[in-house]
Amino acid sequence: MRDLAAKLLRLDRRAIFVLIAVATLIPLLYPIGLPIRVSSEVKRVYDHIESLPAGSVFLLSLDFDPASKPELYPMAVALLTHAFKRDLRVVAMTLWVTGTGMAEKVVSGVASDYGKRRGLDYTFLGYSPGGSNVIINMGQDLNAAFPTDHYGERTADLEVLRGVRSLRQVNYMVSLAAGTPGVESWYVYGKEKYGFELGGGVTAVIAPGLYPFLDTGQINGLIGGLRGAAEYEILIGMKGKAVAGMDAQSATHFIIIGLILLCNLFYLLAPRTVVRSFDRAQDGPGSPQEVRR
Amino acid sequence: MATSVFIGSWIAAGLTLFMFSFLYKDNPFFRFGEHLYVGISMGYTIVRIHYDVMVKSLYSPVAQEGKWWLLIPALLGLLILTRFLPRVSWLSRIAFAVIVGFGSGVAIPRIISSNILQQVQGTLKPILSAGQHPFGLAQFNILLILVGVITVLVYFFFSIEHKGVIQIAARTGIYFLMVYFGAAFGYTVMARMSLVIGRFDDLILFSSRDYAYASLVLLVLVSLGLVLWERGERRARTPPH
Repeated sequence: MRDLAAKLLRLDRRAIFVLIAVATLIPLLYPIGLPIRVSSEVKRVYDHIESLPAGSVFLLSLDFDPASKPELYPMAVALLTHAFKRDLRVVAMTLWVTGTGMAEKVVSGVASDYGKRRGLDYTFLGYSPGGSNVIINMGQDLNAAFPTDHYGERTADLEVLRGVRSLRQVNYMVSLAAGTPGVESWYVYGKEKYGFELGGGVTAVIAPGLYPFLDTGQINGLIGGLRGAAEYEILIGMKGKAVAGMDAQSATHFIIIGLILLCNLFYLLAPRTVVRSFDRAQDGPGSPQEVRR
Repeated sequence: MATSVFIGSWIAAGLTLFMFSFLYKDNPFFRFGEHLYVGISMGYTIVRIHYDVMVKSLYSPVAQEGKWWLLIPALLGLLILTRFLPRVSWLSRIAFAVIVGFGSGVAIPRIISSNILQQVQGTLKPILSAGQHPFGLAQFNILLILVGVITVLVYFFFSIEHKGVIQIAARTGIYFLMVYFGAAFGYTVMARMSLVIGRFDDLILFSSRDYAYASLVLLVLVSLGLVLWERGERRARTPPH
């Protein structure tokens, strides 16, 4: 048993990659449909949008780039779908230059699905440089921060922005963020001074760091990672990419939990000499030599 | 299907497989994809900055609307470039001074207000409120947060020796930190798995007949390429007889 444990501790890491790949692929090809429970922090974002009367101004800042697409793109689709269903005036933008094209695609794509007209029902302001300074500028004068939208139309002339001079006239704002500038910037430089309600949708990596803001009410709701996106899809009755990915997510988590338990068990069972010999790793996968190569 | 979408799907599937090939080991396919990514993202950023900053935020307001005062920040921006000219590089300090001064002035009061004062306020919530059950879950949460904050602060307080009660508090702080690290790591795993799911989702889509089985064809080609590259590497490593 001790020899077997030692052998398994030396297992080629590529076997684990294959295991994870299989655990991801099978549920994607043959969905199981595991239940998804909606958390209160996601529900609060949904409830707030539900409470807004038609014609309210909903600002969505897509502060991410294609590297975070699998987590935040489904969130953007779900939130835009909900906002368009509720006939809100949607104003979208991005603080991340590399996300501009993708953000425009999702906004115009969902808008066309619901027959919304650009300039009248929605607009995409595009990217403006400066990160948190853009937020401050928007709080003072939105038209100064974005003299034209992404398509070159003067923002002062847009019907969708009628009566919206600054962030003070925004009824609800959600930042879909993969880092900085993101939710925290919108809170620190926007909400606190200009008094609009703020929600967050973030990658799972930065979600734990935002829970203190949720607890203090600095943000009213939080959609975290693919799971959060799936919960939002459930709330609006849409089976999108996030719900489809949750079975795979659960399967891979199950595999990882199993591997952690097994590794600890093998670690305890393996002879001490074997455990110590990992420090003097050989030329195999994961060794310092391979990393250097 | 539009030709651009079809070609795009083959490129996307190919580059995804190139990047995944690193899981086998570092190889030319991965390096090609990596360098292409760096180049394209940089090129895209330059184009967008040119349009959104130089044209939309500077040239148009100055040339068409006569907002000449925008030339002042533009000049400050140009001063940063003097870093490349050793004889006048000191000029760049003016721009940096403005950036640091403005940045600090804007950030410090806001950060103190939202990240310190409001967080402290959140930590010191009243345990008992009118109409609430005195031993409810909300009260337990408030106490847990309070104990967590105090014990973690004690752990990072190094001016007194961690002995006796202080040691117990510091140890408790470590457990709170461990729970946070565990939660953060769990979320990180979830995020990374989401990225894998996103790529696999696209690969499955591109393996359909509509895309001429792009993922499957390219998987075979990349695998074949890796085998040939591995054989070439082994041959190169073998000493000549």
